Amino acid sequence: MSLEEPEPDAPATVEEQSADELAELLGDHVIGREEHLNAPGYVVRPDEVQAVLSTLKEDAGYDHLSCVTAQEYEDRYESIYHLKKYDDPTQEVSVVVPADRENPVSQSGEAVFRTADWHEREAYDLVGIEYDDHPDLRRILLPETWQGHPLAEDYEQDRPQVVPLREHANPLQEDHRSEQDTDTMYLNIGPHHPATHGVLHLKTVLDGEQVADVESDIGYLHRCEEQICQNGTYRHQIMPYPDRWDYISAGLLNEWAYARAAEDMADIDVPEYAQVIRTMGAELCRIAAHMLAVGTFALDVYGDFTAIFMYAIRDREKAQNILEDLTGQRLMFNYFRLGGVVWDLPEPREEFFEKTRDFLEDLPEALEEYHDLISSNEILQMRTIDTGVLPPEVAKSYGATGPVARGSGVDYDLRRDDPYGYYDELDWDVVTEDGCDNYSRLLVRLREVEESAKIIEQCIDLLEDWPEEDRTIQANVPRTLKPDDDTEIYRAVEGAKGELGIYMRSDGTDKPARFKIRSPCFSNLQTLPEMAEGEYVPDLIAALGSLDIVLGEVDR
Amino acid sequence: MTGAVPLQQGMLPDTIANLLGLDAFGIAGDVVAALLGAFLIANFLLINTAFAGPWAKRKITAAFTDRIAVNRIGPFGLFVIVADAVRLLSKELIVPEGADRPAWDLGPLLIPFSALLGFAVIPMGSGLQLADPETGLAFAFAASSIASLGLIMMGYASNNKYSLLGGLRAVASNIAYEIPLIVTGVSVVLFTGTLQMSEIVAAQEATFVSIAGIAIPQWFAFVNPFAFALFVVANVAEVGRNPFDIPEAPTEIVAGYQTEYSSVYFVLIYLGEFIHIFLGGAIAATLFLGGPAGPGPAALGIVWFTAKIWAFFLLTQWLRSAVPRLRVDQFIEIGWKGMLVLSFANLVLTAVIVGVLTTL
Repeated sequence: MSLEEPEPDAPATVEEQSADELAELLGDHVIGREEHLNAPGYVVRPDEVQAVLSTLKEDAGYDHLSCVTAQEYEDRYESIYHLKKYDDPTQEVSVVVPADRENPVSQSGEAVFRTADWHEREAYDLVGIEYDDHPDLRRILLPETWQGHPLAEDYEQDRPQVVPLREHANPLQEDHRSEQDTDTMYLNIGPHHPATHGVLHLKTVLDGEQVADVESDIGYLHRCEEQICQNGTYRHQIMPYPDRWDYISAGLLNEWAYARAAEDMADIDVPEYAQVIRTMGAELCRIAAHMLAVGTFALDVYGDFTAIFMYAIRDREKAQNILEDLTGQRLMFNYFRLGGVVWDLPEPREEFFEKTRDFLEDLPEALEEYHDLISSNEILQMRTIDTGVLPPEVAKSYGATGPVARGSGVDYDLRRDDPYGYYDELDWDVVTEDGCDNYSRLLVRLREVEESAKIIEQCIDLLEDWPEEDRTIQANVPRTLKPDDDTEIYRAVEGAKGELGIYMRSDGTDKPARFKIRSPCFSNLQTLPEMAEGEYVPDLIAALGSLDIVLGEVDR
Repeated sequence: MTGAVPLQQGMLPDTIANLLGLDAFGIAGDVVAALLGAFLIANFLLINTAFAGPWAKRKITAAFTDRIAVNRIGPFGLFVIVADAVRLLSKELIVPEGADRPAWDLGPLLIPFSALLGFAVIPMGSGLQLADPETGLAFAFAASSIASLGLIMMGYASNNKYSLLGGLRAVASNIAYEIPLIVTGVSVVLFTGTLQMSEIVAAQEATFVSIAGIAIPQWFAFVNPFAFALFVVANVAEVGRNPFDIPEAPTEIVAGYQTEYSSVYFVLIYLGEFIHIFLGGAIAATLFLGGPAGPGPAALGIVWFTAKIWAFFLLTQWLRSAVPRLRVDQFIEIGWKGMLVLSFANLVLTAVIVGVLTTL
């Protein structure tokens, strides 16, 4: 396959612009400057968003629109475009777009970054900013008939929302294609369907068995996670919730996203010992999450609860048992605290180390079995190679991250590119595959399990030899955290599915004024039409499986 | 089957008539004897299905996938068969809005009917054969093909797009794989020179080769293993099992043609599918594995026959656990471009060989 090779030493060669150079580049577009903890912020006029974003993308190399945060101030609305570089995500810039309080209209960035489509729809849905020039500005998480925008200041929480059965009894019935075009069939895949991995609704138009058009309808599992976090205090009340975003055993990875953002915001240093424990726990979670991803992908392609699914569950169970020993929980770990972890490794430590080592020892054999059963199976290869193709440029435009991006040859992993925890001290590799197809995404996950095992092994070695008197599991963190007024931060970690980012703005109280979750699944799911259109229904299902979405994280 | 084909000696209805003294009642006695025989055979199959469906299928799949499966109700969980029967029959029968009623109801009845009908001509050993017409093999294939009609009726009458897709897939797959199946079957007929099932079995009794004193019978699976392999593959497709379970494909089209069926109809469909697997195994056994032949006295025929159809059932379950499903276009392509060509090649080659052998 002649797809472009990722540059081997990309981060070193990326040209970095200073804040002033960027300001010069943007010239008159900039009407003000802001300082976010993670990046310089440039305030631009609401009708010049496209010009600014395309200048930053074309001339300065900011090719990753990580997230769009919308919020309401007393005097204005504001959209923040968090931009990064795929080659070096530590280079960040925030484009701050204020919009009028009375008539919040702002130009859409969709023409520059396709991922802005969904992000702006969410901003419109929850906050109420209208995006000019947006191709399809509808509500995305809430039903069309919802009154008001829940994260806006004047939203009445107590007002009952009447979502009449009449309008929602069968929103699926409408077959809007039948009149002009009698060769196609409109098919609802989901919200309840064996292969949607949760409540996802795919509005599919079929031409025979081929997919002519597919549109994802999300929001069935929207639980107001952002608002819940805005109602909790930084110190203790937010940490339990990240477990519930990507609940497929990626709990610690999610907790780390919040921990990282909050610790950077409040300037907390985490003791090294705790960092090692965090790294080990997070990688165990990644193994468990990838096992399930591989198992369910096989399920989508194989068809029944077959051997490979059960084997994957069997091995995931071992990781889950170790996590249970470590955290006391199997699903909602709630193990991280700001400044460290809640408790040390379980006693007796030797038993825990032995159990973990046994797991790591058995893992290569289990992976061998997976390779026998899935990746080297001819039928599976027939089914997955060259189907669900996602070219790297398209993946970048949609803000795809994690195994989805790495399966398209985009060499992007925050653990290496924007190091946190103990990752930069350890010896491991970022896995990429250049096939851009369903098969590559499967291989990436299988190989990442091996890398995670390497990381865990090194962590175990470190923890075993850690002198007893240095085992500090938590830094000294004040009982109440009140970051300075108007501190803003956007921080991301490498979750199981990709870049999991948190944006927080403080208003001087002990609760965040705005808490925005950048979910990797949300951005990854946007690529589905690109992969599936023109393919057969089974390949649509396989492509969906290879994206490995968790609706809890898509809908939040 | 009593009208056109007179009852032959040694057929099951005959035996029953003799035992009960029904001969004296003329044609009425024949009818009663035939019905009793059919009742016996059908019950034998239903009992096999009762073991296969709620119990063996679970146990086999569990063994393949590292689980335990039913083990709480009765010894080895066997009473789950009773529990499941009660459970399934007591469920609500949900009739979808807009279902095309007579067709929607007839579909699930046709499927077990067609599979059972096919068993009318199968020599099951120990004297268990209802009828032995000269066109036996053609009858078995024809009877099992009636199921396709049921599938498309179910798919079309359910008023559900998934059912429709499933029904269309079922028809496409049946057409694509029935031709190679029958053409491969015909290559056996070239050896035997007859379609009569008992003759086909008899033709396989002779010794093929003798190795170290052990006589290997002239089963066509040994004579022409290539045809046997083709036949088994086409058969798996014909009964719609993995990797060819395209018509049901749970992760793609929910459950295909049976999406809208619940309760008794659900039971009937599954009953039909299991008997179909057994019928597929029975035809394969008759054509290629010497029918009820096996070591020991001839009275053990039924035991060997049952073992052979269960072996085919086991194979389908094994495939189900371990082999991924093909995509619908690949599946059809393999059928038309692979299986069909191979089966005709096999037929021509067999014809030439048989022709040469007979002229020598």
